[in-house]
Amino acid sequence: MSFPKKPGGKALDVLQNLPRITLANLRPEPGARKRERRRGRGQHGGNRSGRGHKGERQRGTRPRLGFEGGQTPFYLAIPKYGFNEGHSRRPQYQPLSLKRLQYLIDLGRVDPTQPIDLTQLVNARGVTIQPLKRDYGVQLVDEGSDIFAAKINIEVQRASEGAIAAVERNGGVITTSFYDPISIEILIRPVPFFMRGQPIPKRMLPGEDMVPYYTSAENRGYLADPDKIQQARLALAQKYGYVLPDISRDELYHMLAMRKDVRQVFFGLSPGWVVNMAERKILKPTDEKLLKYYTS
Amino acid sequence: MAASVLCRRTVSVSFRASSCKHAFSPGGFLLQTACYNPKPLRLNLKDPYIPEKDSENTPEWQKSAKYDRKLFGRYGSASGIDPASLWPSHAELDKIIAEENEWHPPLEVMLKNIEAREKEEAEKRREKEKIIAANMAKMPKMVADWRREKREAKQKQKEEKARREKLLAEARERFGSTMDPRSPKFLEMVAEIEKEEKKKKKLLKRRQKEEQTAGAGPTPAAPS
Repeated sequence: MSFPKKPGGKALDVLQNLPRITLANLRPEPGARKRERRRGRGQHGGNRSGRGHKGERQRGTRPRLGFEGGQTPFYLAIPKYGFNEGHSRRPQYQPLSLKRLQYLIDLGRVDPTQPIDLTQLVNARGVTIQPLKRDYGVQLVDEGSDIFAAKINIEVQRASEGAIAAVERNGGVITTSFYDPISIEILIRPVPFFMRGQPIPKRMLPGEDMVPYYTSAENRGYLADPDKIQQARLALAQKYGYVLPDISRDELYHMLAMRKDVRQVFFGLSPGWVVNMAERKILKPTDEKLLKYYTS
Repeated sequence: MAASVLCRRTVSVSFRASSCKHAFSPGGFLLQTACYNPKPLRLNLKDPYIPEKDSENTPEWQKSAKYDRKLFGRYGSASGIDPASLWPSHAELDKIIAEENEWHPPLEVMLKNIEAREKEEAEKRREKEKIIAANMAKMPKMVADWRREKREAKQKQKEEKARREKLLAEARERFGSTMDPRSPKFLEMVAEIEKEEKKKKKLLKRRQKEEQTAGAGPTPAAPS
């Protein structure tokens, strides 16, 4: 009986010496691919290739789903009710579970020592936001709230109560905030926007239908009163049965206390500024009227 | 917890990527910090393309203000664009402000609208609830009335049936055979009987009245 001296040593060695894995040197496992069946060849030529005899079945010209041969189909015969009214115009929020957020943090794709907003999540390839498909951001879902263990300052667009509790239990801060479609496009792809040489616009306020959500402290809305948010944090801690960690004595207090202004799109950049990537410069307006517009 | 488990995993596998910074968490575990590898900015700063504004060969879209801004974004001050032109001019700003005033009401206005709408809805609901409560209060009486009416109708029907049967039996007795209830003979008989009954009733009433006066007459006289 002889054991190798270092278990896994060879594999590690191989890993270190082989070229980097890229799409160019990847190929399917032997046996993973199967050749396509070629129907109606050889002795089966002239037969029906398993499609039966004549008609729509053989020719693949079946009528559309729900069609009943000309009689008024069921889906048109029954009365409609407005459950799905306006479904094509409803705002969508891509789900981000706490499990996935933990995964992203553990892999180092998201930096928990900095405030996390949509830009970080998109850069980490944590979520894909398509503003043209009426995506208004991400919703934090409480799946994996029992294993979530990071202290973060996160800004999302919607959050469930369990997710809020899980973030705050670990001493983190969560804010829900609204971005209009233009600012969300800028937020998820900052560099192409900076390359356009345009001033950063003001973030617009939510519509009247969304104002109640973002002014409520239970949802940690960005328009809510900070004192009420503190009360809501305590109430939630009591409800879920955990001790709310004191943030003001935290070593990361400065990071955790960072919040965007109501009109601000990026952390540290005010509306009205122009960011030039080529010269690595920020240009600020000096005109009174412009300043007044951008600060209002 | 997951972080501790993963921290252990991070320790056992040493990362070779030098672009990643490593940070030591207070627990002594090696924590990976974010290492976002951004897409390289492919800026052609050595040989910038800056279209001539006056040339006919330059396409129209390259002469627009939007394209100028793009040029500035791409090449910076080397593009020769006045940075002041990146922001909207006063006339444009006025337009933007006018549009914003029209379509984007301030938060206070929205809150006021919401409050007013909620108040109105609550009022509507309260009124409806009031009506429902009032109607529900009336309900037991209405049910009782309905039951009584039904019972009375049934009783009446029963009586009518009994009377009819009685009449028919009498007719059979009188004429010796079963009568058709629509025949004039029968109807005549019914009218006769009704007359007699009326007379009897009248008589009964009169007698009752007489009796009453006879009984009540001496009573007030007794104490005097």
